[in-house]
Amino acid sequence: MAGMMLREGEYQTLLAIVRKGLDDSSRALSSMTTGGIRLQAPRLEFLPLNVVPGIAGGPEVVVVAVYLGIEGDLNGHLMLLFTRDTALRVVDMLLEAPPGTTATLDEIGVSALAETGNVCGSSFLNALSDRTGLKIVPTTPVVVTDMAGAILQSVVTELYLNGDEVLMVETAFNREMPGHFLLMPDQDSMARLIAALEVIG
Amino acid sequence: MMSEATPVGLGELKSGSRPGEVLVCYGLGSCVGLALYDAVAHVGVMVHVLLPDSSLGRSTDAPPGKFADTAIPAGIAEAVRLGALRSRLVARTAGGARMLNIVGAGSKLDIGARNSEAVRAGLQQHGIRLANEDVGGTYGRTVQLFIGTGRLLVSTVGRGEREL
Repeated sequence: MAGMMLREGEYQTLLAIVRKGLDDSSRALSSMTTGGIRLQAPRLEFLPLNVVPGIAGGPEVVVVAVYLGIEGDLNGHLMLLFTRDTALRVVDMLLEAPPGTTATLDEIGVSALAETGNVCGSSFLNALSDRTGLKIVPTTPVVVTDMAGAILQSVVTELYLNGDEVLMVETAFNREMPGHFLLMPDQDSMARLIAALEVIG
Repeated sequence: MMSEATPVGLGELKSGSRPGEVLVCYGLGSCVGLALYDAVAHVGVMVHVLLPDSSLGRSTDAPPGKFADTAIPAGIAEAVRLGALRSRLVARTAGGARMLNIVGAGSKLDIGARNSEAVRAGLQQHGIRLANEDVGGTYGRTVQLFIGTGRLLVSTVGRGEREL
């Protein structure tokens, strides 16, 4: 279902870009490990800001978030969101340990997740840059474990100053490990993104 | 006694006067949970404040709880409507954290501190005593106001619980 602000053609263009970005992320993550890692089946949706704090099962659910700011022609936020269990399993996968090995998120785990954020964020933004010609760079990732509502709210609050919706990409790591991937440009940036999509479409 | 939890979402204002009621702001980050309580009438109000000042908003139809400056008079009015005496109302607040501690980038993400400050200033302006607060830091909080007793419970992930 396309968001209110995108026409069908623009939505399809964006979906193709998102798929390409996730494919590139999968390839990059797989090359870091021996096992194949596949980010799949993206679902693309525009969400009203006030429902965002609840997307990961409720605002009080504990999640692990990898946050990157985005700067350049688009300003805003990028976030990867996992349940704590999924985050631990992603770490297992990246460290090539049997599932269940990582029990707590230590420094190595945090840096593995930060790297995942880096790889996914860069691949995704590169795919977006390539197609739209917009220059977009991510900031250094920050990894936070806390209540989903608390983490998301901090970003949403800032967006509330000038926008009502965010673009959410829902995906899964190797089918069984669901995660959320959020692209949250501010309103001016969203307008620039849509304009760029119009040109391509 | 059975308790019924009423979630207070982003920018919402909820009130209660039944002893079993609990008003809950789940997962406060930079937002501030403002609790107003009259210990004699056993009437309470909880507001989930998002932003410090309504001049920051674009629309004129924002819910009253969204901004600190509009949240406070709206909260007082609601408590009074349910039988509270303005002079007996006591405020407690929690939240206003800085969740994403990002160096540089001229980040505006420390809206938490501005929220706490705005709520403090607004309470003073309206002559409501701020009895206690648990604000700041870099972690999330869930805040529950128990209408029957006036108990205010702040819980966190990995940092335990605290009563205000």
